Amino acid sequence: MNPNVTLLADVLEMNVENVAAVVITGLIVVFIGLILLIAFVSFLGKFFTKKPKAKKVKKASYVKEEKVNVPKVATPPVVEEGISDEIVAVIAAAIAAMGAKSGKKLALRSVRTAKPQRNAWASAGIMENTRPFF
Amino acid sequence: MISKFIDTLVNIAQESGLYEICTNFLDGGYKNLIMILISFLFMYLAIGRGFEPLLLLPISFGMLLTNLPLTGMYHPELFAGDINFGDVLHNGGLLDILYLGVKLQIYPPLIFLGIGAMTDFAPLIANPKSFLLGAAAQAGIFITFVGAALLGFTAAEAGSIAIIGGADGPTAIFVSSKLLAGGKYDIDVGTIALAAYTYMALVPLIQPPIMRALTTKKERAVKMGQLRTVSKTEKIIFPIAVTTIIALLVPSAAPLVGMLMLGNLLKESGCCDRLVKTAQNELMNIITIFLGISVGATTTADKIINLKFGGVILLGVVAFSLGTACGLLFGKLMYVVTGGKINPLIGSAGVSAVPMAARVSQKVGQETDNTNYLLMHAMGPNVAGVIGSAVAAGVLLNII
Repeated sequence: MNPNVTLLADVLEMNVENVAAVVITGLIVVFIGLILLIAFVSFLGKFFTKKPKAKKVKKASYVKEEKVNVPKVATPPVVEEGISDEIVAVIAAAIAAMGAKSGKKLALRSVRTAKPQRNAWASAGIMENTRPFF
Repeated sequence: MISKFIDTLVNIAQESGLYEICTNFLDGGYKNLIMILISFLFMYLAIGRGFEPLLLLPISFGMLLTNLPLTGMYHPELFAGDINFGDVLHNGGLLDILYLGVKLQIYPPLIFLGIGAMTDFAPLIANPKSFLLGAAAQAGIFITFVGAALLGFTAAEAGSIAIIGGADGPTAIFVSSKLLAGGKYDIDVGTIALAAYTYMALVPLIQPPIMRALTTKKERAVKMGQLRTVSKTEKIIFPIAVTTIIALLVPSAAPLVGMLMLGNLLKESGCCDRLVKTAQNELMNIITIFLGISVGATTTADKIINLKFGGVILLGVVAFSLGTACGLLFGKLMYVVTGGKINPLIGSAGVSAVPMAARVSQKVGQETDNTNYLLMHAMGPNVAGVIGSAVAAGVLLNII
């Protein structure tokens, strides 16, 4: 640091006016800076987020289905090898019970063994971040 | 021969640190003893209780080394007034030379480089409103500045104390080493760093009572929707844009924000794996050791055992609590404005202290509903808080 330079901190008087200036200016500048970043990131998000086209397709096929008016036939669920019929029956019964409770008709489309969603490192990271502190 | 042997023993005893403490016990020697005991306490907290051990352990060991008499590893007089760097290099001890990295503000930006290389800004990019929570939590810094002014601290001291509210160790060291340059103040960088890291280690104890007091059970139980997926291009553009915008607005924040974003760009670019690994591991670890031990060395007895340090500790906890409260209150405002879609608990994570503050939001949220996962939502304000505190630091340096 240049020894000839006098820091403003050395001469800044801590009176009401100066303290208020530091507080108000500080808060306003921090908010302005971060609001500018919000504007930029929001723009970036809108620019890069593609609107899902799947909805349109789904709607079109639904309309088509209505026009044809084919009677719906219950298709049997696709069951992975190694899963017994008893287990499929239990799952189907549980889903039917849930549907009956809420008044909706639910269908079982497929039954397969659950696979881990995350790799071991990701799971370890989540466990580390969610474990109790003490 | 026996008398010569005894004379030698007496000479060795008279040149020992123990003799120095005993002969000067009432003339300040007791203060060294107290500081040595405090360093043992911090070592226990780091090793036995796991309180920020990566920094608290080197700091406490530096504290021990500097308070053991006659070790000659750190000479505060070399840094009083205008620093003669030739004098430091020729006559300084190991810790004097390492301390130059703090004094010249080299270590904090390098730590930020490592933090940037480890941080995922995706939750913030997916939910940019989190920036507001990161900004609101910085209010604690500026309100504490008023408190420090009322307690009679000078502008430089008040700015250094207030930045503790940012809950960001490197930022606190960066600001205080600039503002408290010259060694003519009653408090030092070490005092600020010690208070900042102590409170950061105590985040899980300080924040939850404030969070429970300022929120209702209904607010704490709010489940937030899933965040959108952020593309790689967005992640690459983000650090470049943040550096440009912040450096143009607050140039004094450029060293911290610039290094943070360089680390992040190295990570997100995907083409600099070797540099990323070095920034995340070797460089970060080396700087952490140098920073910790040299900051610990500045905690000499006469700088710590005085009323001013008591004031720093008191204002430090006020700054930290106010930051937490301001973030929460802004979170409550966002809860009302969005019709109950934002859980106010994520507001407290705006005080930086990555990732501990976000984990505290997660923990307090799960106390109300154990199926509520707020961690990723809280990471947004948490990393926004890092950027916010760097901007606040730049503003303080600019104004003061």
